[in-house]
Amino acid sequence: MKPLSGSPVFTVSVPPHAHCGRTFKQDALGTIIALLPAAAFAVWHYQMPAVRVLALSCFTAVLTETICLYFMKREIEADNYTALLYGLLFGFLIPPAAPWWLVVAGSFISIFMGRMIFGGQGTNPLCVPLVGWAVLTVSWPDLMDFDMTMLASELTYPLSQLKNFGPETLDEYPIKSLLLGFQLGGTGAVQTGAIVLGGIYMLARKIIRPDIPFAFIAGVAATAAIFYFIDPFEYASPEYHLLCGATLFGAFFLATDGPSSPTGHTPMLIYGFIGGVLLVIIRIYGMYPDGVPFAILLANLMTPLIDKIKPGPFGGITSIHVRSRS
Amino acid sequence: MSKLWKEFSKGLWKDLPPFKVVLGLCPVLAVTKTADNGFGMGLAVIFVLTMSNVLVSIFRKIIPPKVRIACFIVIAASLVVSVELLMQAFAYPLYQQLGIFVPLIVVNCIILGRAEAFASKNPILLSAVDGLGMGIGFTISLTLLGGIRELFGYGTLFGTRIMPEHYKPFSFMVEAPGAFVCLGLMLSAMNIFTSWQARRKGQAVLDNPGHECRSCGICSR
Repeated sequence: MKPLSGSPVFTVSVPPHAHCGRTFKQDALGTIIALLPAAAFAVWHYQMPAVRVLALSCFTAVLTETICLYFMKREIEADNYTALLYGLLFGFLIPPAAPWWLVVAGSFISIFMGRMIFGGQGTNPLCVPLVGWAVLTVSWPDLMDFDMTMLASELTYPLSQLKNFGPETLDEYPIKSLLLGFQLGGTGAVQTGAIVLGGIYMLARKIIRPDIPFAFIAGVAATAAIFYFIDPFEYASPEYHLLCGATLFGAFFLATDGPSSPTGHTPMLIYGFIGGVLLVIIRIYGMYPDGVPFAILLANLMTPLIDKIKPGPFGGITSIHVRSRS
Repeated sequence: MSKLWKEFSKGLWKDLPPFKVVLGLCPVLAVTKTADNGFGMGLAVIFVLTMSNVLVSIFRKIIPPKVRIACFIVIAASLVVSVELLMQAFAYPLYQQLGIFVPLIVVNCIILGRAEAFASKNPILLSAVDGLGMGIGFTISLTLLGGIRELFGYGTLFGTRIMPEHYKPFSFMVEAPGAFVCLGLMLSAMNIFTSWQARRKGQAVLDNPGHECRSCGICSR
């Protein structure tokens, strides 16, 4: 029987039917806006090299995403700002003096191996920019070393100073100058004050939930405080672990990456705390000066396990059912 | 003759050990830092695989079925020890490179797999041909993987410099994670090629699940 024209037609679709209006595009755009102050600080400190690295990284990321989607015969949705966001995040992590091919290679590997190979948007098991960072650090450690590549800069890298000369060198870095970004490190990752501003903006806009960043910061502070309490002359104090290097950048922007972090409050808290603890342990015992990327990668790998902590379904099988059945 | 060719050639493409049936991954991942290493390992495996297939086929009537796995391993282990001693005598640098992975050929699942699946049920000549084909396929795969990793990781191929002078070696490829990534990329390339081939012949191809927006339903687009 053919439906008469004008008669009501029922559309059948899968749930959920009600939406709150949040889209990937809005969230990614909000995160990019939150990153802009840090980018501005990076340009202030490093001038054109920072602009060059960030622009090249963003361009390569979007181009890679477009090409991959084209070859996957999928709708080209590289305009939803997520690839741009990952490119920007990757540019924040590498030294401003990195050669152009390093930026291009890292940005390409991030998007291709960290994201598109797993199926694109929302499928990455690891935080996308960290994949590229890790591959580059394993391959070309000398070019990713902030001290080696930035010899011309007057700034110094507090974490390698801490590793090589002990915590008394940290007295050269007053907290205010650390907040203003007077330290060597990833292009935008060490602009601590601007990163905090961006983080507060994201929390206020509810782009991220506060659980992961605060658990991450608590993990860093607690572990660093334990070590500081054991021997204040051997280990740095918690506030320096928080303000030096990419700690806060990791807490607000990398650890909160949607697909690679757990859902639910308790898992989020556990995940963030594990990341923070690992960060300080890697900084103190590891061979790399900054442990943020590796700590977050390891925490990402634990995500499926942590995600098992979840409330049972309403009316689902509980232990009472199992016991009565047997 | 055509039957012999069939058994020989299935190891070269249809049942290519590391890439099609994904067996024997331990040496595939561990010793393919350079093309040389992969080739040497492949030669050792060809010898052990062919000989163990022949021996298992000879004894297939008298090996009691209940303890057959132990018997296969005893045969493989004796052959591997002889290969190890030969390598120490005639190819000591290669032996030093391969290290623990030469004795580990004993527990390589290709050896046991061919003994169990083929040699214990087939006559001697067919088993020998089967082992030879599988071994050659394995060697080609290892050399190819080793060549790719060496080319990008060191900029050389069989020890000769290929890449231009200012090429900075992509050392990720010769580290442990590079082996996994490289193997995964090669497997996906094989899958793409296989589905392309099937599509050309007009056979049914397994397609990826749909990626339309409504299959997800998270956003409100």
